[in-house]
Amino acid sequence: MTPRRRRRAGLAFVAPAAAFLAAVIVFPLGHAFWTSLHRVRGLNATFVGLGNYVRIFGDDAFWHSLGVSFAFTASAVVLHLAIGLALALVVNELRVGRTALRILFLTPWMVAPAVGATIWLWLLEPQFGVVNYLLRVAGIIPSPVAWLGEPATAFASVVAVDVWRGVPFVMLLMLAGLQTIPVEQYEAAAIDGARAWTRFRYVTWPNLRYLVVVATTLDLINTIRHYDIIGVMTGGGPAGATEVLPVLIYNTAFRGNRLGEAAAIGVALLAIVLVLAIVYVRAARLDDDKAAR
Amino acid sequence: MTRTSPARTALLWTVTIVVAVVMIFPFYWMLNTSLKPSAEVFASPPTFVSSQWSLDAYRSLFATRSIGRYFVNSLIVALGATALSVVLAALAAYGLTRFFPRGATTFVMFLLFTKMLPETLLIIPYFQLMSDVGLLNTHLALILAYSSFALPFSVWMLIGFFRSIPREIDEAARMDGASVLQAFVRVILPLARPGLVAVALFTFLIAWNSYVWALVLTTDASMFVLSVGIANMVGEYRVQWNELMAAAVIAALPVMVLYSLLERHLVSAITAGAVKG
Amino acid sequence: MPFHVARPAVAALAAAVAMTFSALVAAQQPIVLQWQTANLTESQYEPIWKQTIAEFEAANPGIKVEPVLVARKDHWTKFVAASQARKAPCIVSVDLTTAAYNGYLMPLDKYWNAEPAEFRKAWSDAMLSSAKWKGQLYGLPIWGGTYAEIYNRDLVVKAGLDPAKPPKTFDEYLAWGRKLTGSDQWATAVLGGKTDTTTRVLLMWIWANGGEAFNADMSEATFAKNPKSLEAIKFYLGFAGKGGIAAPAPTTTNYLEQTNLYAQGKIATMRNAYWAVAKVVGDNPAMAGKSFVAAPPANVPNAPTLATVTASSISSSCANPDAAWKFIKFDAGRKWAVARAKVANWMPLRNDLADDPEIKADPMLLQYVQIGQNARSYPLPHPVWAEIAANDIVDAVQKALLAPDKTDEIFRDLDARLTKKLRDI
Repeated sequence: MTPRRRRRAGLAFVAPAAAFLAAVIVFPLGHAFWTSLHRVRGLNATFVGLGNYVRIFGDDAFWHSLGVSFAFTASAVVLHLAIGLALALVVNELRVGRTALRILFLTPWMVAPAVGATIWLWLLEPQFGVVNYLLRVAGIIPSPVAWLGEPATAFASVVAVDVWRGVPFVMLLMLAGLQTIPVEQYEAAAIDGARAWTRFRYVTWPNLRYLVVVATTLDLINTIRHYDIIGVMTGGGPAGATEVLPVLIYNTAFRGNRLGEAAAIGVALLAIVLVLAIVYVRAARLDDDKAAR
Repeated sequence: MTRTSPARTALLWTVTIVVAVVMIFPFYWMLNTSLKPSAEVFASPPTFVSSQWSLDAYRSLFATRSIGRYFVNSLIVALGATALSVVLAALAAYGLTRFFPRGATTFVMFLLFTKMLPETLLIIPYFQLMSDVGLLNTHLALILAYSSFALPFSVWMLIGFFRSIPREIDEAARMDGASVLQAFVRVILPLARPGLVAVALFTFLIAWNSYVWALVLTTDASMFVLSVGIANMVGEYRVQWNELMAAAVIAALPVMVLYSLLERHLVSAITAGAVKG
Repeated sequence: MPFHVARPAVAALAAAVAMTFSALVAAQQPIVLQWQTANLTESQYEPIWKQTIAEFEAANPGIKVEPVLVARKDHWTKFVAASQARKAPCIVSVDLTTAAYNGYLMPLDKYWNAEPAEFRKAWSDAMLSSAKWKGQLYGLPIWGGTYAEIYNRDLVVKAGLDPAKPPKTFDEYLAWGRKLTGSDQWATAVLGGKTDTTTRVLLMWIWANGGEAFNADMSEATFAKNPKSLEAIKFYLGFAGKGGIAAPAPTTTNYLEQTNLYAQGKIATMRNAYWAVAKVVGDNPAMAGKSFVAAPPANVPNAPTLATVTASSISSSCANPDAAWKFIKFDAGRKWAVARAKVANWMPLRNDLADDPEIKADPMLLQYVQIGQNARSYPLPHPVWAEIAANDIVDAVQKALLAPDKTDEIFRDLDARLTKKLRDI
């Protein structure tokens, strides 16, 4: 096939998706950028250039929210990975019931996030919730704990619920990866007398690395824009302890009715993540270069 | 595999069971609540098993709300989004893998990047767009929305999968006289079936559980999907929690059934699609 | 006939026929009014609004009313998304000042002024002014909720207190509170959750102490600036904490948690509207008939309580405002006001229902009506009210609950922050 015909064939394949995405993603995205450059009061929009950005960067609430977002996303993603991987390793070693366990472990992922969050809201309720009831019956706590009522425990609780929601996907990914590692590699390691940690480091981990990158990237994207769990459980409280950026954006757009500012916050979030992504990719490439030497 | 001592196995099983209980407990609580009478829902101490369990909440749910209709709407939208997503993603992923191998990663990165804006910012322009083309209150608007969300991940996964299918197979098919499209449909796609199943499941899940888009894009009660129907049950002044949870259980079932049936495809797809990069 | 003449003539004739035909068709097509209010998803209101629509359509052939069902928490979001595309439902009940300020509503003066005095006199001037923005009327007040103090008679009697003599001042209330607090049971709940109900209750305590939260034209916040306000805030928030009379975890207590606690007998009293009594009985049928109502305790005579006002408005995107007004008028009629009061426990806002036998048959409703004679309408009339009530004020309350010794500072900061926002429109 001539290069020209190859290119045309290729374009024919890619065109439907690209056209679709152009219409359905690019327009709203462009609209968000456009809105961020205007001061919007209901049906009146006045162009203010970077005025919204100046305002939000000068507002404590934005920086506070950014900090909470980073803390939340980092904790959640790290825990997703660590617990997901650990679980996958455990399930991988079990001989029996692997399929049933896989399905069982996927359950949190199948419940709609808002519904799951509502149920956890009940479970964590101080007076009537099951968690406090069980902890008191087991003698672990003397009196009911207001899980969502104190900043530190509220933050921990929403992270925990997000871990509950997010681990299944990572676990599944890791489990699949583990099962493709050739048995010969493990046998070779065993012959060399390698112990568990060494086996993990030199056989398991290298085989899983790409999968980990995939899982982490997707997880980061999904977690940083996630609204439902925190929106339902704490609304960003108490006293802003769980006010991640999506919550701030929602409140700014639909409680404060400041659509331009909300769009600016969203675009700022995108820009910050983009910068971090570039930094990360650069660092990863350097790592690869070092490893190659 | 190294030999595992009985003690180690016991430990592993304990951990597994504890984690499984934590994972599944909310769903069990959903079920438990849906079977209880209203007055017992917030009783203190909470009841785990009740002598008063009954299907009354389910019965009154079906009697007072068009759950059947919401279910059908959800199904139409989810299946439509799945079909659209699979077709577009398969075409795009194949095109990128075979014809633009170096541009593939950039394209996918761009797609993923665009996904990062929180939904809040997208609903107003999206409503405007759908309103302008006259697609408000249609299944199609939701199908388009959900496909667009699922597309980036789907394309990424399928790229990995197509990469693992050797080009020789394409060439063999072409040499037998097939056009590029025919080779793709008749030879390559069947080989990629696990990947397609994975994409389908993933899209179905996104479409089935999504709420905000259906909230904004539908006003006609006959077009409501399950997630909207459930949210509408949360009144301020009175909430029938057992009925609400019954609706949530009904909403969770199809996804679980689907996943149980097709789960092994998901695993092998992710394996082939992602591990090999 | 020559062809070059015939063709345009035929075309003109065809066009005329088509236009006449489509005009006829349009005249026969019913006008469809979309009606969106957060209350359509309230299960006890459902039979009433269905009947309202049925009777209206029967009396007005050619007009159809299409209800738009939305979950309460997403009602405003959906309305804004539709308004931005100029496709909002015709008849809506939303935060009036915010919506009017943002251009989402249509002024109703011309409709109101065209109504006979007979119709108009059912609304007092004070009631109407709660639906005005910059001198123009943007909604017709339909129903509301007056807030009072609801007590659990059994718990009150058990504590050795007299239900016939509810507390009248802050100190009496505190004394009652101490007696009503025991092991695993508290007198009341402090609302500190992330909804504007927190702000409603806070305002009531401030007003009951003779304080004010804002100056007369709402250009300045005086939560800390006005000493009586700050005193009331400290008193009310002081209920919480160890050794206090309020249930724990106030920062997560909203209407739902508060009514749950009350329904399960964990708190003996709650500051709430009449509909809360119905909710409590729905949650726990054993609570039927166990509650009694009294005016909120106050340190100054004639302290106003708070009354939420829900008005029906016409959105600025409405293509058929005349028909929309017809429906609003119909829905504001006596019959529906009484039905709403009886079935959903929503306070009527017409002033001509005091003699209605159905209203008189419900003593608690009568009490609420009486208490509501001296009430300030809510939400407060400022375009940023929706935000400050649900965000800034709540944040300050939550901070003060978590760090009570910093209350002064927290509310001074709130004043500064609010004043800035109030002036920035």
